[in-house]
Amino acid sequence: MPTDFLLSAIVLTPGVVGLLLLATPREAVRLQRWVSLLASVATLVFAAVAWSRIDPANASFQFVEARTWLPSLGIGYRLGMDGISLVLVLLTALLQPIVFISSWRSIHDKVKGYVVAMLLLETGVLGAFLATDMFLFYVFWELMLVPMYFIIGVWGGERRIYAAVKFVLFTLAGSLLMLVAIIYLSFVFHSQTGTWSFAYEDMLRASVPMGQGFWHSPQMLLFAAFALAFAIKVPIFPLHTWLPDAHTEAPTGGSIILAGVLLKLGTYGLLRFNRPLFPEAWQRATPLFLTLAVIGIVYGALVAWAQKDMKKLVAYSSVTHMGFIVLGLFAGTLTSTQGALLQMVNHGLSTGALFLLVGVVYDRRHTRMIEDFGGLAAVMPLYTGAFLIATLSSIGLPGLNGFVGEFLILTGAFPRHPAVVAVAATGVVLGAVYMLSLVRRVFWNPLAIEANRSLPDLTWREVLAFAPLAFFMVWIGVHPGTFLSLSEAAVRRLIGG
Amino acid sequence: MTVPISHFVTFAAVLFAIGAAGVLLRRSGISILLGIELMLNAANLALVAFGRQHGQLDAQVFVFFVMAVAAAEVAVGLALLVAIFRKQRSIDVDRLNVMRW
Amino acid sequence: MRADLIALLPELMLATLAMAVLLAGLASGKARHGLLGAGAVLALAATGVTLWLAAGATDPGAHFFSGMFVLDHFAIFFKALFLLTAALVVLLSHDYLKRNDYRPGEYLALVMFATVGMMTMASGVNLAVIYVGLELMALSTYILAGYFRREVKSHEAAAKYFVLGAMSSGILLYGLSLIYGATGTLDLATLARVLASAKPGPSALVGVALLACGFLFKVAAVPFHVWTPDVYEGAPTPITAFMSVGPKAAAFAMFLRVFIGGLAPLAASWIWLVGVAAALTMIWGNVAALTQDNVKRMLAYSSIAHAGYALVGLVAGGPAGVNSVLFYMLVYTVTNIGAFGFVILLESRGYAGETVADYAGLARRHPAAAFGMLLFMLSLGGIPPTAGFMGKLYLFAAAVNAGYVWLVVVAVLMSAVSLYYYLRIVLQMYLREGDGAEPATLVAAPWTERVIWACGVAVLVIGLLPAPFLAAARAMAGAVGLL
Repeated sequence: MPTDFLLSAIVLTPGVVGLLLLATPREAVRLQRWVSLLASVATLVFAAVAWSRIDPANASFQFVEARTWLPSLGIGYRLGMDGISLVLVLLTALLQPIVFISSWRSIHDKVKGYVVAMLLLETGVLGAFLATDMFLFYVFWELMLVPMYFIIGVWGGERRIYAAVKFVLFTLAGSLLMLVAIIYLSFVFHSQTGTWSFAYEDMLRASVPMGQGFWHSPQMLLFAAFALAFAIKVPIFPLHTWLPDAHTEAPTGGSIILAGVLLKLGTYGLLRFNRPLFPEAWQRATPLFLTLAVIGIVYGALVAWAQKDMKKLVAYSSVTHMGFIVLGLFAGTLTSTQGALLQMVNHGLSTGALFLLVGVVYDRRHTRMIEDFGGLAAVMPLYTGAFLIATLSSIGLPGLNGFVGEFLILTGAFPRHPAVVAVAATGVVLGAVYMLSLVRRVFWNPLAIEANRSLPDLTWREVLAFAPLAFFMVWIGVHPGTFLSLSEAAVRRLIGG
Repeated sequence: MTVPISHFVTFAAVLFAIGAAGVLLRRSGISILLGIELMLNAANLALVAFGRQHGQLDAQVFVFFVMAVAAAEVAVGLALLVAIFRKQRSIDVDRLNVMRW
Repeated sequence: MRADLIALLPELMLATLAMAVLLAGLASGKARHGLLGAGAVLALAATGVTLWLAAGATDPGAHFFSGMFVLDHFAIFFKALFLLTAALVVLLSHDYLKRNDYRPGEYLALVMFATVGMMTMASGVNLAVIYVGLELMALSTYILAGYFRREVKSHEAAAKYFVLGAMSSGILLYGLSLIYGATGTLDLATLARVLASAKPGPSALVGVALLACGFLFKVAAVPFHVWTPDVYEGAPTPITAFMSVGPKAAAFAMFLRVFIGGLAPLAASWIWLVGVAAALTMIWGNVAALTQDNVKRMLAYSSIAHAGYALVGLVAGGPAGVNSVLFYMLVYTVTNIGAFGFVILLESRGYAGETVADYAGLARRHPAAAFGMLLFMLSLGGIPPTAGFMGKLYLFAAAVNAGYVWLVVVAVLMSAVSLYYYLRIVLQMYLREGDGAEPATLVAAPWTERVIWACGVAVLVIGLLPAPFLAAARAMAGAVGLL
């Protein structure tokens, strides 16, 4: 299979199929379900091909595609893949079929709209991971906004409209400033070289003046504009307030994608753009971001502990986990950055699994309140086992994936920032406390509520959705080297070490 | 003895101000039309005076155009007022308040 | 003389055909909607062909009628845009006039006369010509705004538009006379030469300020925007669509021609004025739109805001700035006409069907039309991959390039705000249903639907492949006089 159009195939397959599905009649629900699943599986296959063909020792972009699009401004349709994007593309492509399988039964209203929105969303995400043109990146970045708005707003819970609008306005406010920054960056490149370009590789060669202070320093301002857009997406404390709303109101599939993939775009952006484009500003902002990361870790854990709604609890645990990732990125060593990248994948797997499993009981009981459950271990043994695996992965039990990521982050950061690591480590402990307390209350408290006695266990379809996640949790936990080696060269290049 | 240009300009400015005040302050549709005419004619006067000062005919010709346009404008304005009067039995612009300002 | 007439032929032709439509309308009465509408569209198309031929037969750099009239690329671009706008509006009006039982003859003729005025404005390089074109456009539009003579709102809209419009014309004319007094010329190129050679006195500066006020009124910029919401709400909806794009684009053509062409030497003294007006326009237009429940009023404030974005391009100046304004006008025209087309579809019961709540649950009953409206709202909000996004990109790129980063920051923040109210409509159409919402029934209006389809396709095509359209705009932009 030639790789000339491999990346285009990865990016465009879901979107094109989605647009074609738009033309199918509303009643053809079976067709829409199957075609969307097949499209996402096909995308996964393309991603796997990329995995088998990529040369991990080569730090630069591979399978490069470049076509002119808006020649007057030097904007092109440029795609490229390195180890970092490969890992995240694999995660996205893996989660998408799981989303479709998990929502096979739970979404029964307006199925066409749902699968189309999901497929367009996948194109947006994959495009953002693979774009090597700043402008194209921005287009894909914005492209995600509208499908996600609909996914939350149409298929969400009770306060879905509020959550959808809040999600859009938060995201947009940040990303539009990033657009200005992108244009300005290109302008800097233009004034230094005399040619217009939005290509990422060209931007790396533009040296943005550092200047004095904050308001008179172009580099600080550009850094801030990029970082704001990404920090909202991650989300970094105190910009996280949209996240619990969006997660809780979104349908299960939306939460999986949101937590599993969309949040990663924020940290991906910090690593891909902020780090190499604005190195001095990055240095200067490091204390601030480390502080915010640690606050996020502890705050997210404490708030999660206090939640009565399982989905909200998992949502707040995301704030903690993303805090670890930000910590790893800004600690800046190769080990911590690699750990952060791995933790992005881990969080996608474990939180995706948790949302999936919370969705399972929600479908059966139409409640997510912890107090409405108890003693499920006796009724749903398979489900209990699955939930336990996801929980242990999330809290970082050795042998599962979460441990490797957190360990790398903390060991990588320790030599430079021991105090930060010390505080962050309490987050690990707190994480174990609230997650295990959740497990105890849901699965081992007495089976007091009558409605819970007859709950059916996982269906084969739910097992099918969960199994790949568990498989990768164990794989990464046992042999993380498979994935770490993929990204090492690329990470080295970005952090300049 | 000729009247200096500054007299014309000042006069035109005063006329313009009176016209603008009429448009903004008066309530009757007819008075507003008069105010608009005053503003246009203030401009005409200034144009004619400046044209004479520069010794050109450009402005004088322009003034003819403006007069024609002003006549058309009044025709449209009066027609509108008649239509409004038929509907509302009044040409008080304060009563045009179906939509909030 | 022959060359003069060839250059003027499109205007002559359209004016003649407009009179023919007027007479035919008088002769045929109400019954012949289809015939007259088809005649008007054909007339506009024929004018388009004539424009093409005339452009081929004349030298784009040449001046006609003793240097008062040009047919450069800039003028051709705008004339083509005006003809397109007028044709779309005529098509939109067809079903609407029929449904509301108004005579088509005068209406169509007035749209065509207004178009002649706009075309003259785009070609004038002499302040007198520009003024006459402006008044022809304005007078026709006043009457059109009040065309629904059985509706109080329509009268009110026309009266308000007339009073404030005539007053702004007076201010503009007075500004012209002061500039003439200071420089002794009405010709834009001479004006620029004179202003560049001598330091202008206070009267010229007052003249420029008055002129700017008049122009800002015509493009509906803050603080001269107060007429817009009422006029847009009260006027017949196709005319609202027309006013929001045609006269606005014509005003921008004149604004660019006069300020970037003739008054360029005084840029230092007007650019801050226009810049501040642009910022205020974007802020106030978007903020005021947030609270509107009437969709036509909301689109009125949105059109105010969009004038603000376009002013950013004017402030940026230079070929890139002018180019971006031209492109933006094209983008805005197709988007806004499409959006108003949707409002027309919904106006099934006279003036009803205009509040945001009327849009509830429309997506289920009318998926195709709702999808079109979704595209238009996203385009107005500037979300890729729609035309509106590309339009904004070029405006912002030009402004950043010219060093007006603060203006761009205001613009993008306000774009974020604007998405809130554009999404309100989307939200009503797609998200609200089931909870007791009874979706309004769209009226059967085949031509309106076709216009919506055409605009929707244009929004996507320009959004995905803007390069050829930009190239067209760029070829035109070089011609604004002193660039």
